[in-house]
Amino acid sequence: MNSLSDPHGGNLPLTRRELLRRGGMGCGLLGLAGVLAADGLVTDAARADATDINPLAPKLPHFKPKAQRLVHLFMNGGPSHVDTFDPKPALEKYHGKPLNSPNLRTERKTAGALRSPFAFKKYGQCGTEVSELFARTAEHIDEMCVIRSMAADVPNHEPSLMLMNCGDGRLSRPSLGAWLTYGLGSENQNLPGFIAMCPAGYPIVGPQNWRAAFLPGAYQGTYIDTQHAEITKLIENIKNPAASLKDQRRQLDLVKRLNEIHLAERGSDGALEARIQNFELAFRMQTEATDAFDISKEPPATRDLYGPGVHGRQLLITRRLLERGVRVVQVWSGAGQPWDNHDNLAAEHKKLAREWDQPICAFLHDLKARGLFDSTLVMWGGEFGRTPVAELPGLSGRDHNHYGFSMWLAGGGARGGYVHGATDEFGFAAVENKVHVHDLHATVLHLLGFDHEKLTYRYAGRDFRLTDVHGQVVKELIS
Amino acid sequence: MPKTLSQSRKRQFTVPLRLCVRVFCIGLTTLSLARATAAEPITPEQAEFFEKTVRPVLVENCLRCHGPKVKEFGLRLDSRAAMLKGGDGGPVLQPGEPDKSSLIEVVRQTGPVKMPQKGKLKPTEIDALAAWVKMGAPWPTSTAGNDDTAWKKHWAFQPVRNPDPPSLKNSQWPLTPIDRFILAKLEAQGVPPSPAADRRTLIRRVTFDLIGLPPSPEEVAAFEADAAPGAFARVVERLLASPHYGERWGRYWLDVARYADTKGYVFFQDANYPWAYTYRDYVVRSFNDDLPYDQFVVEQLAADRLPLGADRRPLTALGFLTVGGRFMNNPHDILDDRIDVVTRGLLGLTVTCARCHDHKFDPIAAKDYYALYGVFASSSEPEVPPLFADPPKTDVYAAFEKELTTREGKLNEFVQKKQAEVFGTARTRAAEYLLAAHVQHGQPPTEEFMLIADGTDLNPAMLSRWRTYLERTRKRHHPVFAPWHAFAELPEAEFAAKSMELCKRWKTGSDPARALNAIVRDSFAEKPATSLADAAKRYGELLNATEKQWQDALNEAAAAKTPPPTVLPDAAREELRQVFHGPDAPPNVPVGLFNDLALLPDRPSQGELQKLRKAVEDWRANGAGAPPRAMVLQDAVTPLEPHVFLRGNPNNPGEAVPRRFLTVLSNGEPKPFHEGSGRLELAKSIVDRKNPLTARVLVNRIWMHHFGTGLVRTPSDFGLRSSPPSHPDLLDHLATSFMETHWSIKKLHRQILLSAVYQQASLDRTDGRKADPENVLLWRMNRRRLDFEATRDALLAVSGRLDSTVGGPPVRDILAPAATRRTLYGFIDRQTLPTLFRTFDFPSPDATNPQRDNTTIPQQALFLMNNPFVVECTRGLLKRPDLSNEQAIASRVERLYRVLYGRTPKKEELALAQDFLNGQEDKTVAWERYTQALLIANEFSFVD
Repeated sequence: MNSLSDPHGGNLPLTRRELLRRGGMGCGLLGLAGVLAADGLVTDAARADATDINPLAPKLPHFKPKAQRLVHLFMNGGPSHVDTFDPKPALEKYHGKPLNSPNLRTERKTAGALRSPFAFKKYGQCGTEVSELFARTAEHIDEMCVIRSMAADVPNHEPSLMLMNCGDGRLSRPSLGAWLTYGLGSENQNLPGFIAMCPAGYPIVGPQNWRAAFLPGAYQGTYIDTQHAEITKLIENIKNPAASLKDQRRQLDLVKRLNEIHLAERGSDGALEARIQNFELAFRMQTEATDAFDISKEPPATRDLYGPGVHGRQLLITRRLLERGVRVVQVWSGAGQPWDNHDNLAAEHKKLAREWDQPICAFLHDLKARGLFDSTLVMWGGEFGRTPVAELPGLSGRDHNHYGFSMWLAGGGARGGYVHGATDEFGFAAVENKVHVHDLHATVLHLLGFDHEKLTYRYAGRDFRLTDVHGQVVKELIS
Repeated sequence: MPKTLSQSRKRQFTVPLRLCVRVFCIGLTTLSLARATAAEPITPEQAEFFEKTVRPVLVENCLRCHGPKVKEFGLRLDSRAAMLKGGDGGPVLQPGEPDKSSLIEVVRQTGPVKMPQKGKLKPTEIDALAAWVKMGAPWPTSTAGNDDTAWKKHWAFQPVRNPDPPSLKNSQWPLTPIDRFILAKLEAQGVPPSPAADRRTLIRRVTFDLIGLPPSPEEVAAFEADAAPGAFARVVERLLASPHYGERWGRYWLDVARYADTKGYVFFQDANYPWAYTYRDYVVRSFNDDLPYDQFVVEQLAADRLPLGADRRPLTALGFLTVGGRFMNNPHDILDDRIDVVTRGLLGLTVTCARCHDHKFDPIAAKDYYALYGVFASSSEPEVPPLFADPPKTDVYAAFEKELTTREGKLNEFVQKKQAEVFGTARTRAAEYLLAAHVQHGQPPTEEFMLIADGTDLNPAMLSRWRTYLERTRKRHHPVFAPWHAFAELPEAEFAAKSMELCKRWKTGSDPARALNAIVRDSFAEKPATSLADAAKRYGELLNATEKQWQDALNEAAAAKTPPPTVLPDAAREELRQVFHGPDAPPNVPVGLFNDLALLPDRPSQGELQKLRKAVEDWRANGAGAPPRAMVLQDAVTPLEPHVFLRGNPNNPGEAVPRRFLTVLSNGEPKPFHEGSGRLELAKSIVDRKNPLTARVLVNRIWMHHFGTGLVRTPSDFGLRSSPPSHPDLLDHLATSFMETHWSIKKLHRQILLSAVYQQASLDRTDGRKADPENVLLWRMNRRRLDFEATRDALLAVSGRLDSTVGGPPVRDILAPAATRRTLYGFIDRQTLPTLFRTFDFPSPDATNPQRDNTTIPQQALFLMNNPFVVECTRGLLKRPDLSNEQAIASRVERLYRVLYGRTPKKEELALAQDFLNGQEDKTVAWERYTQALLIANEFSFVD
């Protein structure tokens, strides 16, 4: 241990907080965390203390992580698992007939089985079956870990979105991204640590999906409306409408001088110093963020690879953000709940999947090509799945289904070419190796280096955590 | 206490890192080494292991039948001693020997007895129990309910004392008794206090402190020139009398009150609280009027129960309870939020930890939680919030009222019709409910989610009530429903034959413990049920025949003008009547329990309701001549008699508990409340001068806002895991004098502000930093950064653009460059709070907030560098006559320094200005950039 911390060692008896402050900003803190981590000693108290100084300074997790960053592709509205990653031939046989199993109660009334309008096929060496909707994505199937036994609590969007994002269906809890940014900080101080992108508006329940709740506001996701291409519409206050960067530099140099005079009269003060630094960070963020979101800087070949649609743009931006050290990126399908196909599922799912399939394929490919794949955990899924039975009265779509659905993980320590768990014969409920959303959270935190029971925050008399009192790490999902 | 494992999240600075780290490392691995067979003192790790992994298993799976109420087989499993004593079959626990403990055998289900009855525990749960037995079955005794001593010594539960100010070596420095308490600690550490701050620092400090705005250059000059004694006291008085004082300090209170202008996500309802601002204005006014704090508390909890007289404005105080989030209209979460704001906000106790189980650290049992739950569950918002001032006698108002009555009539008619349908058909369609509940038996529960149904379907929420009710009658013998559950067990194919047998047996049955309702028994004896559907139909008939008798009896009494009957004379009939009218009867729905979605599960009715409700709400809030209303609560006609919900699950009610105050704050067993919901009694208990917490919590909050940190650094948690006060005697001194001066907050301010400790300089000193780096002892004043409101308001104030109107409806777009009201008046949308608020550490309005974070992130700087609002303020500032009239660089810069910082520029600073401004092509732009630099520099944002 560092002798500075020893109250009997003859040096100043410093508190942890002071010690961390001594470590200085950014790298110094990481250095200290490194010292602690070597002894397996990064305490959450130290983590909490560090938030006071620079909330986004990089911090080490509890143990050596498989993944350093997370990308969550959120198919909001609830994609149908039996039409994407969980083939159910029995639905063909029973099409239009009542199922020979308890027709579990979901939000609306349903009728007999509805066969999938999409063809499934085996992909890769692992031979996992995937529907034609995600044929391009499935090119990566040998690196994907498909979970066919996901389960949530209720078949309604709002609580399920909040459960998937924040670990609780109703109460105000921090989102997964907020927890991770709290736990890990960000590797790039010139960009927000946690970015949530959704084109043309919010998904339902809005910013609650990426909220910080009782964690400091610094950990909330920064929302980006990817409908826009101009940087000034993407990030608030990123550009001064009247001053050039050169003019602004001159102005900030003045601010810096004024602040130095001010500080000199007052002696050591971490808060004053931090705020001086902060203007430098902000100045750099202006150029760096502008650069990160500017996909015109990509060669045409790369842009073609991702395709012309909004998701291609979102994922290309995502890759650029990851390269620059952003910790968590959440990419949404669109405002409202696009995948919520109670009717006309065949056409709607086809359209949505077509918008995503190529970009996802390109994105995974690109991550691999740039050596980012192994350290980036990619997670795909909705807030729940859909029923194997048709919804009344239209009989052309499916109702919400939280009893069983599919998600997949790729990269970042996820076990490739593997299918975990199973739903029943028809795809109604997870029956084999059920993975509750809490278990998924525990596993994701594990892959990013955290014991989900120890990543806590003291609030209102309790040590809160993402998984509350639940969650088991699903070891089988890890490579 | 396991202190090292439970550091307060960021404010506990005194435990050395190494110690902290060492204990952290011990982890659970050493636990298996401990094999205490006697009840040895247990380690914090063992306690944590027990609380986290063992107690929940016992509570959830065992105690219902082996607890204080029911002792199946004479066995209790709610203490180590009880396990060692065992039940009819002898001890069930052999510490250290899981394989020899029958507790483990039965949960492993390897022997003849298999527990729990409802199904095997999860492997992890079984392993946890076995591991616990192996480590010697350590059962922590220091938690609530088990130990009478640990918490009794806790400082916060001791009566507030009135300690004498200590004697001192340096008798020159202290100005007030507060200083003597501070100095005594400093002297003990050998650290002298800092000298007094200079006047311009002092006036800037106290002005931001009390009104959240900067002093004008004239105010600074006047104070600097005031040589007469009492100059500072005069400044304090002027500021306390300012209407802006209430805006500053009211906002602090709104943090505690989790104030917002919307409900959060609520499906189809209008998410706005159109009258939330009347509560905000009440708070501002109460601070300005120096309303005694005890009265402030009582009004916020129970103004509706007070004799108000002509001025009914205090009704708006109830917003304290009602402006919280609506949690998708989950009633239990709404009540939880109210319990939370009252207990953490007013008492500094984390009572909501006891929602699912007894508090793990503080002496707060689940029973305490549900006692308060009963209070708030017995209070509801009226459909129409009342006016708090007489409406004007104008034609406009008359027209408004007429239209409102029409719209309300339509809504009420619809809701009442639907209610009558749902509650009525719970009776008339009892047979269908019985059958449907049977079909659902064993299916995953659906109570927790919203179901969409057709208009003719059984009501899902009512079905869930029937299901819960029947489940209870299935578990415990029930004279009416025992036959039903027996029928339900019969295989369909052999139903008729077996049913015949059963009905015959019942007729001759003589076991008094399993006696059957005579009417039910005889009916089936006469004519056995032929199928389960038949049985259901027959039950339906019996129940509805009983209902008819009951209605006839009521009608007869009404016709004869005699008091209505309370029971049916025949005991068996009465037993049947209870199925519809007993306290747990499914059709007997407590007021307010069925929200819109529960009442109306079908989309067409929802659509209709939405339309009617919107028509009313729109008109009530925005119709021409609409007067403001108070967000009140009112007591239910019949208060709810609460039960503990086991594991917080409303479908799993346990022991009954009266509505009453917290045990820990009562003298002996708390007396049940008996006036309505008990809110007024609760309020009076909270402000009872013998309550050790209320005054301490409040004076600590006030102290915190003056000094940046509280004497207790966890301002909403004074429980066993809180950090003890840095100056316990001072805290009690302040609490005592606060109560003695009739809970006057302004007097408390004066007491603090006129002290020497408040008036110290904030400059760093090596000796002080060395001895006390966190300045816990207050050897200097803390330098503080302006919060979000003060930052924005100060920018407006110096630019001369501040609209100083006090109160009124919220401003929708407070962040627009042209908005000029104080930040306090911004519209707070709970669901989509603008990012900028939280960027500047404005607290989340989702729950009561103890204190704000203080982070430094680049987005804050980006706002100041680039947002058009800042540019507007810069331009406004330069347009002020006192600045635009100054043409020379030196004189204009000097004026700017006076306006922004309350001082003249130094030579060096003047030189910087000259360098920056000289030779620039566009003078206007150059001045703007320069001025903005002064506005965003540290000196503007920090208060020394």
